[in-house]
Amino acid sequence: MSIGILGYGVYIPRYRINRAEYIKAWGQFAAAGIEEKAVPGVDEDSITMAVEASRNALNHAKVDASKLNAVYFASTSSPYAEKLVSSTIAMALGASPRVSVADFTSSTMAGTSALLMGLDFVASGRGHFALITASDCPYADPGELIEHPFGAGAAAFVVGEGTPMATIEDSDSATIEAFGERFRKHGEKSVETLGIPSYTEALIIKTVTSSVKALLNKTGRKPSDFNFIVLPQFDGRLPSTIARMNGFEEAQLIPSMIVSQIGDAGTASPLIGLAKVLDEAKPGQRVLVASYGAGAGSDAVSINVNEEIVKRKGAVPSAKDYLADKKYIDYVYYLKIKKMI
Amino acid sequence: MAHVSIPSYWKTLPQRYCLIGMKCKNCGTINFPARAICISCKQKTEFESKRLSGRGKIYSYTIIAAGSAPPEFSEQEKLTGSFPIAIVELEEGVRTVAQLTDYEPEDLKIEAEVEAVFRKIYEEDKIIRYGLKFRPVKKTKPPP
Repeated sequence: MSIGILGYGVYIPRYRINRAEYIKAWGQFAAAGIEEKAVPGVDEDSITMAVEASRNALNHAKVDASKLNAVYFASTSSPYAEKLVSSTIAMALGASPRVSVADFTSSTMAGTSALLMGLDFVASGRGHFALITASDCPYADPGELIEHPFGAGAAAFVVGEGTPMATIEDSDSATIEAFGERFRKHGEKSVETLGIPSYTEALIIKTVTSSVKALLNKTGRKPSDFNFIVLPQFDGRLPSTIARMNGFEEAQLIPSMIVSQIGDAGTASPLIGLAKVLDEAKPGQRVLVASYGAGAGSDAVSINVNEEIVKRKGAVPSAKDYLADKKYIDYVYYLKIKKMI
Repeated sequence: MAHVSIPSYWKTLPQRYCLIGMKCKNCGTINFPARAICISCKQKTEFESKRLSGRGKIYSYTIIAAGSAPPEFSEQEKLTGSFPIAIVELEEGVRTVAQLTDYEPEDLKIEAEVEAVFRKIYEEDKIIRYGLKFRPVKKTKPPP
């Protein structure tokens, strides 16, 4: 028996809006490297997306929801500013009322925060199984350029005791006090930026590089020791820059990249990337995952892929399946279902 | 559907969120939603809860035309126009009524396979009411 990832799942809503629709409406699409993005349907939000990703993860792990001891939800777009929603997810999954619930909010790095806390929960012996789900559909005023890349998606991981398909080797983190790149004040609905792209990019690069370097130093590993690197995908261009600056090849990054088809999925972004990589990873391979949250912070996690991964391949719908099932909508319908008009 | 108060909705969450039915200990029939007297053997017996799979087939359906939706669904109607409601026969043999979602017009067929998904049903008094809808089963995907 060891502790690690027993199963994972994703969910991507089927509605898509493409670059051409934005160009028709605004004359531009301020989202480098994004061709189209996923849009939650009229009856979807970060909670409903989390439930479907979580069901996939539980089926993948073959863990019954009643066995869960913790349900953690990470999002910047919880429908409630105050009121637990991990409780809603726990009940929808059929978890026992005797379960530790927590909502991780207010940062796009909350997905890895929750994943690491879930691992610590089981590693410390306080419970046998934890489910962590990151689900996001960031929102900004349609007139602001920061809105353009905002997409949607969810990922979920079941961690616990058993025969894990992947184990967390180690993690390290970085933080730096920063402001003005991406924020939302209390009572505001729209994410804002002061709109200085070079400043925003420099902060993301600096913070993510710090956590990645710290992890490499701590584990004594080189970039070439990793088969895959997964980075936060706010657009389709910056991850390549960060990978290159840290000594990683494009080939290590490409398998995780999904932002060109779903847009910026906030807290879910690095975890959907991880799920996508695990879909094609082979036993013995190693993955580095890094997150980023404005303000600013970053977690870097080293993950070893185990033999067990082979057995559950194709057992539940994958990112690829969800990407294939899509329906395009126009910009006016997009504004309507996002309740922007 | 008429107005359902918050406490009434709350009391029925197990059936609304995760299809918890009641299996009659006398005759084995699954009652969904829960009842005081078994629908099959008509006995006032003991029940045990049983979670239904959420897989089933469209038994029948109708379209709620624009303008005819109950008030709690008017927000949805404003966005999508008309929307379909189905009687779904679950694989455990019980029938339930719910909205269909993520469908194309050609998916609306009697006997079409559907699966339950957790969705927003409507919002009232600032509270989002969640519950289950059904969507067509995609042949390309393994069962959930």
